[in-house]
Order: sequence, then structure tokens, then C-alpha cells
Amino acid sequence: MEEQIIKHITGESLFVNDIAEPNDFLTGDIFYSSKAYAEIKKYDISKAKSYPGVYAVLSYKDIPGINQMGPVINDELCLAEDKVTFIGQAIFLIAAINRETAIEAKKLISIEYEELEPVLSIEDAIKKNTLMHPERKIERGNIEEGLKTSTHIIKGTLKTGAQEHWYLETQTTLAMSGEGNEMKIFSSTQHPSETQEITAKVLGINKNQVEVENRRIGGAFGGKETQANHTATWAALLCKATGRPVKIHLFRDDDQIITGKRHPFLINYTAGFNEEGIINTYDVELNSDGGAVTDLSLAILERAMLHADNAYYIPNIRIIGKVYKTNHLSNTAMRGFGAPQAVAAIENIIEMIARYLKKDSAEIRRKNFYKTDNNNITHYGQKVENNRLDFIYEKIYKSSEYILRKKSIDEFNEQNKYFKKGISLTPVKFGISFTTSFLNQAGALVIIYRDGTVLVNHGGIEMGQGLNIKIRNIAACEFGLDKERIKIAPTNTSKIPNTSATAASTGSDLNGMAVKIAIDKIKKRLMKFAADIFNSDNYDRKTFYDDIIFHKNFIIDSANPDRKISFTELVERAYINQISLFDTGYYRTPNIWFDRVKGTGKPFHYYVFGMAVSEILLDVLTGEIKILRTDILHDPGRSLDENIDLGQVTGGFIQGSGYCTTEDIKWDKEGNLLNHSPDTYKIPTIDDIPVDFRVELLKDFPDQNPDTIRKSKAVGEPPFLLAFSVWLAIKYAISSICKHTKEPEFSIPATNENILQSIEKLINF
Amino acid sequence: MENSSSNSIRFLLNDLLYKIDFSDNKSQIKPTTTLLNFLRTQTNLKSVKEGCAEGDCGACTVVMGETEHNEIHYTPVNSCLIFLPMINGKQIITTEYLSEKKDDKQILHPIQSALAETYGTQCGYCTPGILMTMFAIYKNYSDPDEKTIKKLLSGNLCRCTGYLPMLEAVRKSSKNREDKFSQKEKATIEILKNIKNHSTISIKQNSYSYHIPCSLNDALDIYNNNPEAIIINGATDTAIRQTKNNEKLFNIIDISHIEELKYFRKDNDNYYIGAGLCIQKLLGFLKDTITSLYDTLEYFGSWQIRNLATIGGNVSTASPIGDTLPVLISLKSSVKLKNITKERIINIEDFIIDYRKTSLKKDELLTEVIIPKTPDNNIIKSYKVSKRKELDISTVSTCFNLSLGANNVINEIIITYGGMAKIPCRAKSTEKFLTGKKWCKENIKEAGKILFNEFEPISDARAEAMTRKIICRNLLTKFWSENQN
Repeated sequence: MEEQIIKHITGESLFVNDIAEPNDFLTGDIFYSSKAYAEIKKYDISKAKSYPGVYAVLSYKDIPGINQMGPVINDELCLAEDKVTFIGQAIFLIAAINRETAIEAKKLISIEYEELEPVLSIEDAIKKNTLMHPERKIERGNIEEGLKTSTHIIKGTLKTGAQEHWYLETQTTLAMSGEGNEMKIFSSTQHPSETQEITAKVLGINKNQVEVENRRIGGAFGGKETQANHTATWAALLCKATGRPVKIHLFRDDDQIITGKRHPFLINYTAGFNEEGIINTYDVELNSDGGAVTDLSLAILERAMLHADNAYYIPNIRIIGKVYKTNHLSNTAMRGFGAPQAVAAIENIIEMIARYLKKDSAEIRRKNFYKTDNNNITHYGQKVENNRLDFIYEKIYKSSEYILRKKSIDEFNEQNKYFKKGISLTPVKFGISFTTSFLNQAGALVIIYRDGTVLVNHGGIEMGQGLNIKIRNIAACEFGLDKERIKIAPTNTSKIPNTSATAASTGSDLNGMAVKIAIDKIKKRLMKFAADIFNSDNYDRKTFYDDIIFHKNFIIDSANPDRKISFTELVERAYINQISLFDTGYYRTPNIWFDRVKGTGKPFHYYVFGMAVSEILLDVLTGEIKILRTDILHDPGRSLDENIDLGQVTGGFIQGSGYCTTEDIKWDKEGNLLNHSPDTYKIPTIDDIPVDFRVELLKDFPDQNPDTIRKSKAVGEPPFLLAFSVWLAIKYAISSICKHTKEPEFSIPATNENILQSIEKLINF
Repeated sequence: MENSSSNSIRFLLNDLLYKIDFSDNKSQIKPTTTLLNFLRTQTNLKSVKEGCAEGDCGACTVVMGETEHNEIHYTPVNSCLIFLPMINGKQIITTEYLSEKKDDKQILHPIQSALAETYGTQCGYCTPGILMTMFAIYKNYSDPDEKTIKKLLSGNLCRCTGYLPMLEAVRKSSKNREDKFSQKEKATIEILKNIKNHSTISIKQNSYSYHIPCSLNDALDIYNNNPEAIIINGATDTAIRQTKNNEKLFNIIDISHIEELKYFRKDNDNYYIGAGLCIQKLLGFLKDTITSLYDTLEYFGSWQIRNLATIGGNVSTASPIGDTLPVLISLKSSVKLKNITKERIINIEDFIIDYRKTSLKKDELLTEVIIPKTPDNNIIKSYKVSKRKELDISTVSTCFNLSLGANNVINEIIITYGGMAKIPCRAKSTEKFLTGKKWCKENIKEAGKILFNEFEPISDARAEAMTRKIICRNLLTKFWSENQN
């Protein structure tokens, strides 16, 4: 059993909120804006300041450094100054002896706003043209010519909603000051280096004074990539102001009100295709609701633009990308990072084409897939290598008995009025690497102690994806040691500096490789030393350095297996002989680049492929759906750990199915988030998983994999997109109500509410 | 009267006996301190997590052990919704206590091994709560089927795993109920017997007062002298006023220790349900008796919530979206209200007078729900529509009670809706239209039109008004389509 798992199941695992606090610690809290867009005319914090048990109430005026926390673009204030631009924007910070006192103090703060007219929807933003940054375009071929030569043309609009990450552990920070300017921060962050950087900037101190540490986080899904910086910086400000340790553990509702969500998109499209259903032209405009500040919106839009094709070769293609500023909270990274929205659009179009041509949608998908020898270049010029689309399709088409089931579904729909079924097969092709190429780097520090135990430091964050289990396995394997001898250290900016976020599914690709490189350096020295030891024994046969292997806690001359020495003994002797027992590893993904101006390049190290077939049952009268069966076949390369990868695929799919069905974010007319707790924001429960759920990993290509750590592939994000099989199966069931003669109105999420309203427009009860 | 008016409570936390004395006015622990906050701030049991503080995620799940017929009955509960005095005389079990160390070796509970083997934990944050529910399944069910497992585990949210491994883990492990707890059961029962209170505990601390009467008479007496008190039983609704709205609940009478209010009885004419019977136990009685109530309550909250929430509480909150009310109204139920001197029985429709308001007087307690037996050939059906099937509050709920005469003519139909108005409401125009008419498609279609315009529901986080109207109308069609012959 894995050590990490044992800790979880015995309740030993410590999250930031579980770290024993120093006795004098204070609780931090946030007073945030209740207006979507307003000028702050007046405020009074004096009563709150003098409330017993309150140690600090801070405004932007109390910020010692720069009042700025934008991760890419400097357009995000740490604390509001004279204006607020969304509900949930922090204005004041409070430190008190406990939460209760902080809440009482908050009530004593008075503030006067003068309201301005907010922008509260993407439609409104488009109307008022509140573009956040210049629009972007990626284009290949000729749209006008393409449409002229298309036999059929369809146009439409797709709306996709926001999604709340709903990590179980809300944003948490414990900040403690040290000597002078030193600040130690335990933060539930996916990106310790950025948390360090922004905290230092806001505190006005050098980065070398700030140490950010994190052992594990209770789920993240992108929601702690930039959004953890806020809590950390706020706690650090309060800590600095009071001289006492400060903890902020966001209350669930506050977390949902303050922190960003998945970007809602409004997608306008035109597609031209022939009688066969082969798409020849695709013209699409991706409009995204960036919220009040930029955050990662540009990178998210870029990934959306690079995934607008999903698995399909389209000769004439034009993708326009626009991010609009609204008075919503700052939308941010979430699993898939823009790709799901764009992929939903093209997958929906395929279903529309199928309905239009009265053909099967899976068949249309297959015809449009990227091919191996030709039609294999994406719209941004990267060749789709190791393409497994056709292979996976054939396999899952058969194993899921797609065609047979579809037939029986059609029969069922003929015979039933108030219950309908639907089925859909959808693929994913997902590019792996940060599209900002320089981010694809990682570091590691591997240490062997004199007792023969190993401590591995790397820059990645364990957030449930099993990164540390994978890294430990890599280290154990490379050193030929029992896993029990390997410990993974908490991630710490003082150990591994200048790291990238654990994001874009790259955690084990980048950090795994960095760890291996560090280990290789140490091993090289130990191998040389071992060879010297073996040769000093005056054997007639010389031990060659290249023949040394690390196996089952021993160092062995593989050419002369009787020559061996235990790892522990070798380490001790190496120490005595003044040979270094630790080293760093540094890795950068090779040969990737992307020219943003031209919209071309090779932004991805490789692609991940997968497919799913889902069948659903729809209650026409209540709009409720049940996923009856899902088959998934997913490509993890040569899996680093099949159990973990299966878990990622299963969990990603269910998170995606929540996005497609029950996870609904509504705002009222004033810009208040209505679904700010699990009372009204509904993520899937165990009852919502497919009744028959078959998840399988593709194992047919053990050797034809990219040059990655142990030939594995990233697995975090791509399975999320397989949930569109559920979404489109629902659409099939709806459209069967009018025998597939009309195109139902359809959006994300397909809540029972949206389904009922769609059905209402199709028939008259 | 060992405990009478004493300012303290006693409970078993894992295997440690705790006594909390509220006499210390400077103590951080108040009578309304939740079990979750107590565990997290006063003990080292950090496995218990706060995920939402409203009973909707299960991360804070602990198992409560109570003696019943010389056995310990284990139920999972949300520790975020429990005020400390509620656990007086009970055992609370957390994940830390599942495994034990013997000779430096960790001996895992079968459910722990199963969850580890299936990789049913990823980030680990929901895991202790999941394990607690799994532990309660282990102790209460042998070899449960998949549907049962899903029902019992749906009060625990996990955002990482997609739940598949948990399902497998329960299937693998819940074969028998034996474990280290069985071995210690006798000794534990002895301790629990010793610490159980048999008379009222009245806690006073600064501005707080919290009473735990053990008999109905005591409760009525205390209430009579203290008419401003908040009455709680499972507190699943009231606790949220504190945890989410930061209200201070200074004055509480906790009737959860009154055994005489926990019953289900029947005679030739009626079913009688004690107000203090929790929903989970009530479900056990309903399957073969009042199926329409069963169908709705099956989707009431989560297992954790159903173990705390009571029928009396659900009726008394008079919520427009409460699960029991539409059914009880359609079944022509009544409630028994009692004060120190007299009791009265009133029709449940007259009991609910306004949004979250009842006709309960300031010294009265609701003690019993009376449901008349309906003629065998009545067709009764309830529906609850929500965004998510499990652990969700209804968008619209309803109950139909139909009596058909000769030639399929409708003698009487009672249609009650929740979620369509500020109180659970009968669709009287629709009822009137249908009465005396034939039970046929055409009439249902016409009735649907009336029904569609009968209510003016609100738009909120759960659904738009239009959606509620559609569901409201469609449910009549659904009822008809299922019972057209």
C-alpha cells in the first residue's frame, strides 16, 4: 500500500488547516464588496478596529508594497482602492482572535458606494464591446472559398456556463513571520513560486525573504493556480501588520463568492460540410467572460483556440478569440483550461450535421478524424503524431456495442413517449504542454542521507492526482530501492525555486523528468565509485562503469553479478570518500515553440487521445437524466501507475459530467452569485455516476510513446472532455422527441431546467 | 437526579470519556459549539474536516454510537450540524480510531484496507468522512446491493475519484459486521449506560441556556417557563442559522433526548408518528405502510441528515420546499400540539399559516403527526423533482391522492405542491376542475392548462419560475401516465 494512501485512510494526512497553529495565532477574514461595480465614496473601519479581540483591520493604504496581484497582467488589485469591480472583491482585511470576533467586527464596518452600471453577462459585454485585450485569430485555408464549395452550411450559437471547482478543501493559508522581513507561508497553492512572488511584491520585500511551503492540497482542479495567491497574500499582510501568525481558511460560501470559476463562453459558429458529413470549413468565434480582471484568461483563450478542432482535420478554419471584461469575479483556470468550451462547440456541430444528414454521428466523427499519412496537420501547423483516433474508435465502437445499442435505443424511443434514451460517442485529442512555452521547465533536489534513505524534493504539488506516488515510484525505480526508503518532501520554494504551476496536466512529465535527471547525476558518481571499489579488490575481470546497475537495494556489476555492495554501505563509503550524495535536476520540454502573432508552431510535446460512449435515460416530464452506461478507452501512454491513471480518468469524467448536467451557476440582476454553497451548487454524488461504468486504459502501444518520463503520458485534464458523450447523449434523447426533425436548443449545463425548457419548445404537451 | 441542572455533559470520544463543564464562563466552548468545531479546536482529531458547514458535503461525518436494546447502534452524522450537548451519553467515533497500532504494526479496519486497495482516495480531504459512512454501512448492512450503497454514500461528496472505487471498496468489505468495535461492544455499552442522563440537563453559561429534557412533561414545563426558547431536535435546520448566518442561539430546548416522542404506531383508522422519530427510522416503518411518504423521504437529505432530522422538525419548519408537507396535506393528516395543560389536534393545512409560520403557540410542542389510512383503491403518488436526485432540496414536489368511482370518474382528487408558493399549497382550481370528470387524457390536458396558471412561483438559485410551472404541470401528466389504467 502506498504511504500517502495509508496516511489518508488513517486520518493522519495534514492539510494546511490541520497544521498545529502557534498559540498566539489570529484568524484572518475578508470584508468584500457587495456591489458589482461602484465607487467607494466613504468608509469607516474605526469601530471594527476597536472591537475587543480585533488586532488589525487593513485597507489598501496599509499595503507596504505594491497593491497588485495580477499573475500575468498587472490589472488586479490586492485590496480595492476607490472602486470595486465585482461582488466578492476584497476591500478590507481583519485579524481577530477567532472567526466569531472577526465576523462581529465585519458588521461594524460601514461603507458607502455610488453604484455604476455593471456588465453582468457576456451578451452585454459584447454589446458594450468591453474587450479586455485585442482579439486573436488563428486561420488556415480560406473560409469564404470553403463555404462556397460546401454542400451544406449550418450556423449557430452555443453558450457554456461557469463551473465552480468545488475542491473539498477551501483556500487556506497560515502565515508566520520570522526574523526581520522573513515570512513563512503554508498555502494550499498549486503554484508556490507565484504565491511567493506576489506575496513579496505586495509586502514590498525581496523574494528571498518569503518561503512558501505545501505538503498537499485537498483538491485544486485549477482553482488554486492563481486564486490561492489571494488568501496567502492577505494572510501575510495581516501577519506583517500584527506580528502574529495568521490563518485564513475561507468559509465555503466566501470561497465560492470570492474566487474565480471556469470561463463561460458564447460561441458563434458556421460550418460547411458535404453530403458525407465531412467538414470542409469551420468559422468560429470564441467569446469568453474573463470577469473583472485578466488573470489567466488569455492563456485559457489560447488553449481554447488550439482545441477548437478537437480530433478533426478541417482544411479551412478560422478561430477568432475574444476575452471580455465583465463585473463578475475573475474567471480562472479549471481542468481543461478553455479546451472543454471549444471542444463542446465542434462536438455539438458534429451532432447537428448528423441530424441534418440523418446519419450516425459516430460515423461522421470517424470520417473527420485526423489521419496518419495525410490530413494530419492542425490549424496551427503541428503534426498530429502517434495518432490513435482510428484505433481507439474501432476498439470502443465494438466493445461498447455502439451500433447495436443505438438501434435498441431508437426502438425504445419509438415505443415510449415520456422516457427517451440517447447515446453518443465522443473523442478527445488534447495537447500536452503549457502553451506559454517557457513555462515548461521544472527542478528537483534529490538527497541521500548517510543511512541510505532518500529525500526527494521537486517543484510539483500533490493535489490528489497522485504526483508524489508517481515520483516516489520513479525514484525507487531509478535507485533500485524499496519505496520505504524514499520520502517526498513537502514542496518548498526554498528548496526548488522559480517553478511553474502544477497545471496543464504536466506535473509528472516535468517534475518526474527533473527528479530522474537529478538521480542520474548522483548515480553516475556512485557508479564510478562502485566500479573503483570493485576494481580495487584485484579481480582479474575489470568492472566497467557502464555495467553497474542499481537493483533491490544493491549496486551490482551486471557483468559479474557476484560483485555487489548494498546501497547503504556504498553511500556511507561514498560519504567517507568525500563524494557528494545530493544533486539537482533541471528539465525543460524539448522542441516546443509557439508564435503567438502568426498563430503557428509546435506548442505541444505530444497529444493524448481518448474516447467515451455514454447512454442516458431522460424523463421527458421532469427533465431528469440518468447515465445508464459509459465506456471509456483512454490513452495514458505507458502508464506510470495504472490505478492512479484510472482514478484520474474516472474522476475527470465525472467532473466533466457534472459540468455538463447539474453544475449550474446563476447570477441575479445585481451581480450576486446565487449558487454559493453546496445547498444550491450541485456536483455529482455517487448516485450520479453511470449505472454501468467501464473505464479502460489503452495498452496497445507500449513503445510508441513520446520521449517522456518512462514513456508515460499526462492524464489530468483530457478525460474531463470525455463527458461530452453524456451531454450529447442527452441532446439525442431530447431530439428523439420530435423524431430528430428539429434541432433542440441546447447549452452547457444541461440541467433538468434547461432540458425542460428545450423540450417545451419542441412539443406541445 | 445526578445530572439535574448540572452544567455539564458527558460523552465517549473514541475510547476516551469526556466531561465538559460549562460553568467556566471564559471557556471557548459554548453550549452551541458544534461538534466539528470542538473536535478541530479542542482535540487532535484533525481528520474531521469542514467542507461546507451546512451538512451538504459530508467531510465532517463522524459516527455516533448509541445503546439500543443492549447493542450499539452506529449512525453517521454531520458533525457541523451538532451542538455539543446533543451528544450527551453517546459515543462519537472518528477515523483516527478505526485503525490501531499493535507492536508497531498498523492494523487497519477492513473498510480502510478496502478503500486503500481500490485507490478510493485521491486528495484525501473527503476520505475520513467517507470512511465514517463506510464504517456505519459496515456495522449496519451485510452485503448491501449497489443501489443501497449509493443511497447511503450520497451524503459524502468527493470531487476527485468519480466514486467508482468507493463503490467497489464497500462491496469488498461489507461482508460481515465483526471488527474491533464488536469485541469492545459490551464494555462500551456499560460506559454509555453510566453516562446517559435520565433527567433534565440545564446548561447555563453567560447569556446561553440550553436545556435537555428527558421527558415530554419536563420539556413542556421548561417551555412554559421559557417561551422564547428555540426548540430543536435534529437541529439540521436550526444549526445552519448559526453556522451560516452567524446568528447567536442563546436559548435552546433540545428535545432529542425524549424517547417517548420516537414512535410509529397504527390502529384501524390512523398511523401515528411521534414527532421525535428521525426520518431514517421512519423510513423503516413506511415501506409497507405509507408508500407515498416513503417515496419522498427516500430522497430526503442524506443518510447523515436523515439520522438527525425528525418528522416533527420538518413539519414545524413549515418550509415551502419541505419534503413531508405536500404528502401529509394530500393524505389529510393532522398534528397533535401540546402544552403543559392541554393538547389539541388540528388539520395540517390549518397548521401551516404562512411562509415558515405555523399556528403553534408559544408554549406548545408538536408531538405527533396523525395520518389517516386511505381506502385501498385510492391512487396515491408523490414526486420530488430537484436539480440533483440525491441530497438536494426540491425544485417542485407534489403528492396526488386520487379516488376513482365507477366509469373512471374522479370522486375526489387532492393535489398538493411544494415549491410553487410561499407555503405548500393545494391546487384547488385544478382539483375542482377534475372532480366529477372522467380520468382521461383530454381532461388531464385541460387540467394541465389550469394547473400551469394556478401558481405564481418565484425564480431562485434552484430554478426559474417558468421551469417550476412546467414541472408542476408535467407532474400531473406523469401521475396520469403511470395510472391511466
